[in-house]
Amino acid sequence: MAAEEKAPSGKPIVELRGVAKTFFRGKEPIAVLENLDLEIPEGSYEALMGPSGSGKSTLLNLIAGLDRPTRGQAIVAGNNLTTMTDGDLARFRSRTMGFIFQAYNLMPVLTALENVELPLLLTNLSGSERRKRAQTALRVVGLEERMGHYPRQLSGGQEQRVAIARAIVNDPQIIVADEPTGDLDRKSADEILNLLETLNAEFKKTILMVTHDPAAAERAKVTRRLDKGSLL
Amino acid sequence: MNLVTVAARNALRNKLRTSLTVIGAAVAVLAFIMLRTVLSAWNVAADHAAKDRLGTRHKVSFILPLPKKYIETVRAVPGVKQACYSNWFGAKDPKDENNFFASLAMDPSCLEVFDEMVVEPSEKAAWLADRKGAIVGDVLAKKLGVKVGDRVTLTGTIYPGDWQFTVDGIYKATRKSVDRSQFIFHWDYLNESLPVQRREQIGWISARVDDPSRGAAISAEIDRIFDEKDVQTATMSERAMNLSFMAMLSAMLSALNIVSVMILLIMMMILGNTIAMAVRERTREYGVLRAVGFSPRHIGIFIVGEAVTVGLLSGFVGLALAYPIVELGMGRFLEENMGGMFPYFRIEISTMVAAIFLAVGLSTLAAILPAYQASKLSVTDALRRVA
Repeated sequence: MAAEEKAPSGKPIVELRGVAKTFFRGKEPIAVLENLDLEIPEGSYEALMGPSGSGKSTLLNLIAGLDRPTRGQAIVAGNNLTTMTDGDLARFRSRTMGFIFQAYNLMPVLTALENVELPLLLTNLSGSERRKRAQTALRVVGLEERMGHYPRQLSGGQEQRVAIARAIVNDPQIIVADEPTGDLDRKSADEILNLLETLNAEFKKTILMVTHDPAAAERAKVTRRLDKGSLL
Repeated sequence: MNLVTVAARNALRNKLRTSLTVIGAAVAVLAFIMLRTVLSAWNVAADHAAKDRLGTRHKVSFILPLPKKYIETVRAVPGVKQACYSNWFGAKDPKDENNFFASLAMDPSCLEVFDEMVVEPSEKAAWLADRKGAIVGDVLAKKLGVKVGDRVTLTGTIYPGDWQFTVDGIYKATRKSVDRSQFIFHWDYLNESLPVQRREQIGWISARVDDPSRGAAISAEIDRIFDEKDVQTATMSERAMNLSFMAMLSAMLSALNIVSVMILLIMMMILGNTIAMAVRERTREYGVLRAVGFSPRHIGIFIVGEAVTVGLLSGFVGLALAYPIVELGMGRFLEENMGGMFPYFRIEISTMVAAIFLAVGLSTLAAILPAYQASKLSVTDALRRVA
């Protein structure tokens, strides 16, 4: 396992041991990750880089509980994801994980505030409490003036900030970001990266980001490289 | 905001497609309501038949006559309160031969047996005193453009020739099963005008009994009396008698029933197609919802919720279209022009409720397969999906 630069020394929040992931194209097996070991300390901000098809997104999906390894063990925030049922994984994701996608993936029929409130529908919070938390999250990302706007009324950078607010509204321990600046111009990308830095530095969120953008990776505390299913 | 309101808003996302789907399904609901109303209107005479009234006809067929002398025997049967006799006359208006209405030669006491046909006492008295007098239903009077005192000439079809009448009264109905387009005149006038060999024959006997619960026993008793005679009878409740009329149209009624079911199936396919398209387009969104913690069950609720919204809209739009068409347009037209078949052509409450429930139920049914498929997709597959 190779890691570059200023790695924090907290206890591991992500532990992968001997993890492998194989997909099947028809009957033909395709090994995407092979015998991978990884520890990510709590509070770190890590970038995961590598060429297309190297297994970055697959690795991110395994850590986020969106998928299960074919072999090996994945322990995230004290949960052994390998043995959890689909329902347990859904609960784990709603409590522990925040997701940021390249294409923002906001619901077009909901306002910014409602998009942020969406994950809280799974909690027992009252409607007014949900709204209050969603407003706070939007304030953190600097969009308190755009709460009533629909996604089509926002710029790409603003949409991604709404997505970040949605990712942090349930106060997750870990934020996973898959190419969060991939669809943005440099200025908007920098704003998003600043925001991620703030979430890591001030709100102590562990952030794991997949990116092709060296400038984005530069902002992370640790950069890991993946090639042909193995960490370099 | 909750899961259901999110689903409802999703349903209205593509307004053009949702509008076209709702209109398509609403037209199916409209067609369903109209067909069911035809069926219920056909049954209305049977459904609203008097419970204390019996009908006696020839055992072989309704079109064969009974000897008139049978009326006295029926009147003498214990439990029979009143009885009268009638003949189907089958007249046409020579000025408008396509104008179909029921014309009956009746024993005057039928006005007591059928007391839901109400005539002003002075008009009734005038009719009783006038051998060539007629009583006309208010709807038919309006259609023929006649009033009390007018002379009317009708052409007989079963009893050929031109028959002249004076309108002595116009009856109104106190029960919705009554055909308000009947032309009624004295049986004696018909009888006296026939050749001797055709006289003293009646079409059927209508009787009122003092205890409706004994209707079946009294019917059996009447038929038993005539069992040994040359002409045997079949006596039944008014409801059964009306149903036996409708049995002649059973093939058409069955066809209408089948068509109404097929319309529902078409509606389900329209909705199923739209829902499947919407689900395919939103697969990635469902993946995002799953990623942030929503379960497969939640995805199912989203999709079924959308379908219920479209179903409800379709049901209410269909009802909103059907109500003015049936109640103000078609219903009035049929009551006035085909009162014999459709004395009361209105949408039943049960039909409205059934239309709404079926629209919602079938939408839900149409959504089950797409909902199941969407909920079974893995989160990563759903996130990779591009519509």
